[in-house]
Amino acid sequence: MINFLFLVTLLIYLAASIFQTLSLAIGNRSGAAVIRPTIERVAFWSTSIGFAFLTLFIVLWWLQQGHFPMTHWTDSTAFFAWAITLIYLVIVRLTHLSTLGSFVMPVAFIAILISYSFATHTAALPEPLQNYWLLAHTTLIFLAYAAFIAAFGFGLMYLITERKIRQKTDALLDNLLPSLGISDELGYRCTILGVILLTMGVIVGSLWTQYIRDVPWRWLDAKVISTLVTWFIYVVQIGFRQFWGWHGRRAAYAAILGFVAVLCTYVGVGLFLDSMHTYR
Amino acid sequence: MNQIVSVGTSHHVAPIEFRERLAFSEEQLIEFLQHLRESDQVQEAVILSTCNRVEIYAVANAVRNADAAAKILVEFLSRYHQIDMESLKRWSYVHHNLETIRHLFRVTSSLDSMVVGESQILGQIKSAYDFSRSSGGTGTVLNRLFTKAFSVGKRIRSETTITTGAVSISYAAVELAKKIFNTLEGKTVAIIGAGEMSELTAKHLVANGVSNVIVANRTYERAVKVAQKFNGIPLAYSSDLDFLIDVDIVISSTNAPDYLIKRKPLADIMRKRKHRYMFLIDIAVPRDVEPDVSKLDSAFLYNIDDLEAVIASNLKDRQQEAVRAEQIVSEEAKRFYDQLQIFEVNPTIKALHQQFRQIADSELQACFYKATLSDQQEVAVASMTQAIVKKLLHHPMENLRCAVNDGDADHGQYVQALRELFALDVSDEHTE
Repeated sequence: MINFLFLVTLLIYLAASIFQTLSLAIGNRSGAAVIRPTIERVAFWSTSIGFAFLTLFIVLWWLQQGHFPMTHWTDSTAFFAWAITLIYLVIVRLTHLSTLGSFVMPVAFIAILISYSFATHTAALPEPLQNYWLLAHTTLIFLAYAAFIAAFGFGLMYLITERKIRQKTDALLDNLLPSLGISDELGYRCTILGVILLTMGVIVGSLWTQYIRDVPWRWLDAKVISTLVTWFIYVVQIGFRQFWGWHGRRAAYAAILGFVAVLCTYVGVGLFLDSMHTYR
Repeated sequence: MNQIVSVGTSHHVAPIEFRERLAFSEEQLIEFLQHLRESDQVQEAVILSTCNRVEIYAVANAVRNADAAAKILVEFLSRYHQIDMESLKRWSYVHHNLETIRHLFRVTSSLDSMVVGESQILGQIKSAYDFSRSSGGTGTVLNRLFTKAFSVGKRIRSETTITTGAVSISYAAVELAKKIFNTLEGKTVAIIGAGEMSELTAKHLVANGVSNVIVANRTYERAVKVAQKFNGIPLAYSSDLDFLIDVDIVISSTNAPDYLIKRKPLADIMRKRKHRYMFLIDIAVPRDVEPDVSKLDSAFLYNIDDLEAVIASNLKDRQQEAVRAEQIVSEEAKRFYDQLQIFEVNPTIKALHQQFRQIADSELQACFYKATLSDQQEVAVASMTQAIVKKLLHHPMENLRCAVNDGDADHGQYVQALRELFALDVSDEHTE
């Protein structure tokens, strides 16, 4: 039953990714004006319904496990997709810029696909870790990741728009992507949000270590170091912007660099390095 | 039968010298509409008179065919404006029925305009129609026709992209600025040098939210003169570009033989303004801004050729979309024409049915009065009579409907014949 629900969720996310991308891909082609509203509506509703299904899945999964599910790649990637969608929907709600979906929904879909391919797997969570610290710590970190991925999406949108403007001829044709000013500003706000969330997540995590008994803990953990590097990249980026006006293209490149760092921290360390945080 | 005709001239077929002779002032409009009405030859009319076109749309129902209706209109025009028939024939066009409908739909959708997709025409037709309607110049047919034309115009504007994309230098500049800056509110524009084009562009930028205007000129007096128009700040510049530190949009159109804004000094300025975006519009020939400026991270440079290329590409897109729009227009015109004709034969059909049924009913009454029939027999006779009426009318009605649906022009004659043969009293005022 829960597996079937997950399969449905996966398919809805696939549809959402396809329609989100499609609405951007058809651009201003002849006849696009007629079908775009429909495509956008389908994209929005499949995203929203997919999010509702995913939320339900996580809750059911949680109940079945008896503790907050965050031990296996299945749990973690599903939650990752959930956080990405949540942040995306909040941004759409606040800005009415649904274009971002073309960039972040495919990421969410891939996350769910990974999750689904492990779907029957579980791993036991050591008793001492079963508490609200885990919930708070991971939720904050994943929301931070999601905010960084949104910033990455805005960075890509910025670069595409800028390219069009500099190429000159078809600059005006495409009204789907927001102006440079908007992409830049929203990307920056997402970065700040991400840094705040990540900082809080790290603080919660380090406080948590004070309460953990019976599980060996070492500070020089691969994931901890990698996270600090990621954090540093974003903080430096904000500083450069504040003091030397590093915005626009440079900020967009920095957002992409940050995205790579997030991926390394999340996937790379999890897969290839030994860490306290490893998913099984 | 109602004949819908239009007579007109436009920039496509006639030079301005002719169009102005045909144009109507407001008083003339009133006068001419009144002439038409009093003539009793034309039942409804709307006159559209703009700088690019003069067109009369009219409905006449006491004529043999559309040709005759058009002839009446042309003669009226010729008399009123005192233009000989020869030149009127040469410089104007005449449309009949379906063609009139299609033409009006094309005009309303701006497919017939000088710049396809322009937005003014819809408003112009609306006011022309309102003007005629308020003076009692329109009736059922033109009311329906124009209402439909507006909805077709709207449909085409929403379902195709013929109205999108700037097609003038100044609008292209505004659209680009909006694509770069989030909003133009609070932005500062600097006009360097003078010229009609740069002033027009600045005007559009201001209309779209730009709040500060700086006018820089080599001679301070000229700067002051231009600045007054925008409530701007005049500036006499030398080679010092420091005033650009707070400027977001630069419009340059000087006669300077060399580059005025070069990459190196601008790079310094960009650093001082913390790399906030700067949009440079160079409409000077020879150019004022060194092309290398566009290599600066936050500077966007468009010269006159770039802007022209943007416009050309937008125009091309509009042309492509216009093909689709033409299809929509043709479909809608055909559908409207069919509806209109069914709508026109309906009163005749109704009257004929009514007449037959009345005759049958009164004969039945007479029969029931004379002969004593049982209830059962009465019912049988009554239903037989109904069936006879129905069967008698079946073929004529079917053929009439077919003639209408096939777009057969003869159906008008059918209707006429029916009315006369059966002495039908069909009022010309149709009920909706």
